Amino acid sequence: MDRMKSKVAKKISLSLFFIPAIIPMIIFVVFPILQTIYMNFLSPNGEFVGLNNYLEVLNEKNPQFAIVNLEGFPRFPPWGALIHNLVWIAIHLPITTFFGLALAIILRDVKGASIIKSVIFVGMVMPMIVGGIIIRFMFTEGVGIVNGFFDLIGLEGLTKTWIAYPDTALFALIFGSVWLWSGFSLILYSAGLAAIPKDFYEAAKIDGASPFRVFFRITLPLLKPVTIVVVAMTILWELKIFDLVYMATMGGPGGSSNVLALTMYIYWAYGLDYVRASVVAVLLTILTLVIAVWLIRYLVKR
Amino acid sequence: MTIMRIVMVNMAEKMQMVIATLIIITLLISAGALLYITTITSNLAEINKRLSAIEDALPGLTPPTQNITLRVIGPWAGEEMEAFLEVLEEFENQNPGIETEYVIYRAEQLATLLPLQFQAAMTPGDVIATAWGWFIAEQGETGHLLELNDLVNETDYISGIFDPVKVDGTIYGAPFTAWGKPGFWYRKSFFAAHGLTPPENWTEFVDLLEDIQGISGIVNPIVTGDGVGWPISDIAEHFIITFGGPELQQDLIDGTVNFTDPQVRSIFQDRIVSLLEAGYFSEPTEWTAAVETWWAGDYALYFMGTWLTGMVDDPTDLGLFALPGCEGAVLGTDYWIIPKYTRHLEEAKKLLTFLTGVEGQTVHVGTTAGKFATHLGVPLEAHWAPMQDVMEAMSAVEPVPDMDDTIGGYWQPLFWDQLKLLWVDSSQLDAVLQTLDESHPAHG
Repeated sequence: MDRMKSKVAKKISLSLFFIPAIIPMIIFVVFPILQTIYMNFLSPNGEFVGLNNYLEVLNEKNPQFAIVNLEGFPRFPPWGALIHNLVWIAIHLPITTFFGLALAIILRDVKGASIIKSVIFVGMVMPMIVGGIIIRFMFTEGVGIVNGFFDLIGLEGLTKTWIAYPDTALFALIFGSVWLWSGFSLILYSAGLAAIPKDFYEAAKIDGASPFRVFFRITLPLLKPVTIVVVAMTILWELKIFDLVYMATMGGPGGSSNVLALTMYIYWAYGLDYVRASVVAVLLTILTLVIAVWLIRYLVKR
Repeated sequence: MTIMRIVMVNMAEKMQMVIATLIIITLLISAGALLYITTITSNLAEINKRLSAIEDALPGLTPPTQNITLRVIGPWAGEEMEAFLEVLEEFENQNPGIETEYVIYRAEQLATLLPLQFQAAMTPGDVIATAWGWFIAEQGETGHLLELNDLVNETDYISGIFDPVKVDGTIYGAPFTAWGKPGFWYRKSFFAAHGLTPPENWTEFVDLLEDIQGISGIVNPIVTGDGVGWPISDIAEHFIITFGGPELQQDLIDGTVNFTDPQVRSIFQDRIVSLLEAGYFSEPTEWTAAVETWWAGDYALYFMGTWLTGMVDDPTDLGLFALPGCEGAVLGTDYWIIPKYTRHLEEAKKLLTFLTGVEGQTVHVGTTAGKFATHLGVPLEAHWAPMQDVMEAMSAVEPVPDMDDTIGGYWQPLFWDQLKLLWVDSSQLDAVLQTLDESHPAHG
């Protein structure tokens, strides 16, 4: 009985140590989140309107605010901010993941690789506002390197200000941002590769395994934990993307490169419409939470 | 040994209990303190208001021995900021004991920051400038801004300049120096070298564009500036004012005429789209980069605001013409406001009076900022030489409010964005006009 009591007392006393950390969390994180969610169900006058705000936001057809608008699909954007975010994930995620992995493998045994990695990592540490300006100039005709390159190899049909046209603006942003995020997967994969014991490769070599087989049977499976982190963090980045789009296109032309975070910002900053802005914020949070919970559960399991 | 171990375990448990008790006591004290701070904070707004009221009623009580620093917020950076700092320097020279600290915030940044600060009865600046008249009117109506009727006299200024910042006769913003968007800029040397002259009518204008297009090295006759979209909206407004008159611009602002109205549609279709389809306009290009390429001779004409005079190497080589028949020009200004929550009300009033009055505006228009005075008491000669010609051109036409700055809200970026779409895909004309109508605040 005494032992039971002392165990309970110990648990209680240990739990108390969490309280100093939990109280600020409740005040500065949990309360604002709950308040934001509560706001979703109110009209600007403070009356309870149920899910009306959600319906209005989700049914919005104005290209500036449309969350899903597939009227122009599959011709070219605008397709709505949420679809644009998903397109971003569909294109940007595989490219940056593959690009980072490929570079990490290529640079593994190269002398001075750390210098190259640092250069690639600059895109990652650079403020995305700056990245947005760079993308704007990169794709401008007569100024940018992309058009210069197309011009050089004779593809004059592709030389135009990519971010100025609805059919190319979103894709210019996505492709332009590959180098901004590839540094992240490169660094993580480099660390993952360094952690794989050399013995595995030596044993495979003795057994006569081809480099192709070594990659798919040893390298890739052992990099799975890293890949999970890279994929999850990249999807979160793509869902939350804002500053780059704000600076390069402001979601245009005609809403063709709009994303969820920018929609929220325009509701808030230009419309001073805090209710609708918070509705989009909650939708964005739910989407990111799904990914975050999946990642955390995976890491905890391991 | 066993007894010792039992004693040690008991002591450890007791120690844990003591620590736990101490934490509980600390938490209780913290909770009490938090509650106290919360109560104090919630009363801050009221305290601030009362302090301001006391200072307002008894200005003489403010100790004169200590220097006061006014926080001034404006949108100007780079060379524009340098020009504005000259004005603040002059104010400080004339008002020993009052210092100023300049902070840069653009209009859209202020629109996100000020409402939240105002709700907490706080302000990030004592005197603030923004070009968004609609925002000032909204904040003034909500009760966050000082009424300025006693500080400025409407008749001393360009007619109509107070309209965007006035609600039921109450003035919430006072105009600083202005910019105009009077027409197309060209290099006199370029026109002279190619035997070109400014047009007298629409046919001559189209012929001029055709002639320019034939000149070797020219990419397009007119370069289209692009920021987040506003330079294109300026072009569209110039066409509306020219072919529909200043009253049509006002009607579109008020929402009494629709964009899908046959007259408006015809202006877009017959004047703008026809030029776009003929390739006379370039695709939207970052507007500061466009200054360089236009000046270098890749393009011959550039529709831009009067601040362009301060952005070129040789302002004396600048020529300007409006579309033939144009009787109005968009005129915009930055308005100064004083939030009610300033702690230095009297000094803020003094600064606002200086900035918006003859003295402050005279200093500013004399710099290379590319602005002209809104106060009628500032003589033409006080302006920077290249701006004197521009001011004369502007004074010959009716000043018209900027459409997107006046309507504001989220219609403003929508207007910019839809016009950008039109510029690259003119087949979208009807969809663009319909979207502009549907989203207009006057149409609910």
